[in-house]
Amino acid sequence: MHDDRQAEVFAAIAHPMRRRILDLLAERERPVHDLARHFGVSRPSVSQHLRILLAAGLVEEQRQGRERRYRLTPQPLAQIQAWLAHYERFWPERLQRLGGYLDAEEEHT
Amino acid sequence: MTSASITYDLYFAHAPERVWRALTDRDAIARWLMPNDFEPRVGHHFTFQTTPMPALNFDGVCRAEVTACEPPRLLTYTWVGGALRTLVSYRLEPEGAGTRLRFEHSGFDLSDPIQQASYRGLQGWGAGLDVALRREVDALAAAEA
Repeated sequence: MHDDRQAEVFAAIAHPMRRRILDLLAERERPVHDLARHFGVSRPSVSQHLRILLAAGLVEEQRQGRERRYRLTPQPLAQIQAWLAHYERFWPERLQRLGGYLDAEEEHT
Repeated sequence: MTSASITYDLYFAHAPERVWRALTDRDAIARWLMPNDFEPRVGHHFTFQTTPMPALNFDGVCRAEVTACEPPRLLTYTWVGGALRTLVSYRLEPEGAGTRLRFEHSGFDLSDPIQQASYRGLQGWGAGLDVALRREVDALAAAEA
């Protein structure tokens, strides 16, 4: 994943409403008015969030007649998750090494 | 500003003086944490060398300053790198023949997406994503594995 794209994905999922939109789209694809109804906000306001999600590659847009429907494309999240998986082990692993270091040091003294 | 911290409560079967040495001796720190030029005195500026992460505007250098050094019970230093302006603290207490270590990495600004991602990464993935979405990502990861 390009670095710019990764930063875009982070920014996209930083907003709670956009995460909620992704959550709703994870259930099934939906048109804008359906999403707007869930949040009790205007369609333009939902569209604005959808544009950010589209730019980050997290959703896809499909025209069906006069309606646009949105579908989750979670691949970028899987890549972010792989990156975070490395860091979620950082402190537990380092602190475990501290314990290992102390035990080994005692054997030498 | 919404701030968050990572904490661990650990027990080591070693006297506080020994744990303190592992936390404050340059060579010892390099063995369990990262290469560094630490010195155990308040006001000392030092760095940790780690892997650069260009996506997060992080050049791989953690800049740090010792802010508390009270052997063998309290060590704190700032932890500044990329978007992070955080604080790491180690509190030691004797417990039986060993040491209780209370570790805290604090000061993550959750209103900043990159800090939020770093926090989530350092602390453990999952807090930020809702149920259906996490299921979707897990399924995708399983399919790719």
